[in-house]
Amino acid sequence: MAHQAHSYHMVDPSPWPIFGAAAALLTTSGLIMWFHYNSSQLLALGLLSMVLVMIQWWRDIVRESTFQGHHTPTVQKGLRYGMILFITSEAFFFLGFFWAFFHSSLAPTPELGGQWPPTGIHPLNPLEVPLLNTAILLASGVTVTWAHHSITESNRKQAIHALTLTVLLGLYFTALQATEYYEAPFSIADGVYGSTFFVATGFHGLHVIIGSSFLSICLLRLIKFHFTSNHHFGFEAAAWYWHFVDVIWLFLYMTIYWWGS
Amino acid sequence: QGLKPIVSTESPALIFGTTTKLASDLPATDSFLGKNKVPDLQKLFQQADGLPVHLKRGVPDKLLYRTTMALTIGGTIYCLVALYMASQPRNQ
Repeated sequence: MAHQAHSYHMVDPSPWPIFGAAAALLTTSGLIMWFHYNSSQLLALGLLSMVLVMIQWWRDIVRESTFQGHHTPTVQKGLRYGMILFITSEAFFFLGFFWAFFHSSLAPTPELGGQWPPTGIHPLNPLEVPLLNTAILLASGVTVTWAHHSITESNRKQAIHALTLTVLLGLYFTALQATEYYEAPFSIADGVYGSTFFVATGFHGLHVIIGSSFLSICLLRLIKFHFTSNHHFGFEAAAWYWHFVDVIWLFLYMTIYWWGS
Repeated sequence: QGLKPIVSTESPALIFGTTTKLASDLPATDSFLGKNKVPDLQKLFQQADGLPVHLKRGVPDKLLYRTTMALTIGGTIYCLVALYMASQPRNQ
């Protein structure tokens, strides 16, 4: 078997990139069929194939790293850069929605009654469930850091406890936010207030679900002994993402929930 | 965690409350929630059988791969047909 004279990872040929691209085609076309022709089969097919590709692609990365040892320090450095760049791109994504919010709320038009919140809108009290949600996400930031320290100190039981608590807090946030959505006296169709509120908090909620899923996978891998005390980048990436989700919530809370009420 | 089968000359009548000192005797790889199968998996995935990583485990990998391929390729054809039909003008 030929040995490489460099520390990079030359991956095996894989079908997941092209299948992933096809899944994206199916999902986007599926959205069109659903919006315009009230038909949801293509969308369902697209989402299903997207999930299958994600599972198998990330499964293969775990195989390549934990089981085949391809993730040298050089490779890990590249993954760190990649995750930082991805999170930065997500930050810009949210920046757009914050821009939209301030565009409409700093100079409210006569159609809104010249005020913010607009006439007729009763915003949620920021000191009720939203404040609890803030406490929950801040606490989850503490528990994920606790889990990280436990991993580096080879304390398996504590790491599992701390990461489980983090995931539970994330699920608690999602459940509370879902009830808030259900009980809110305004909807996404209630003018620009509804649009900015639900699009910004909605995408944030989606990211909480993504982050919770990522952390759950890390919990499973932690239980299965995949992480060592000095090599656990998958967990670090999940923790970075989770802190990012927390920071976005803090901005949402201060601007939309508190200043905007 | 007094549940690990430690090699011990004590009688088996250990009372749960007195096992706290055993916590420090547990090695780093204790059996809390299952045992470490990573070395076995490392051996499996490093076999020199020429298989790419996405098929390395054999039958379950093949099934999942074929299912995904069927859904994506079949779905792409369905999608192209649907888009072709949607692009036809509908005259009242």
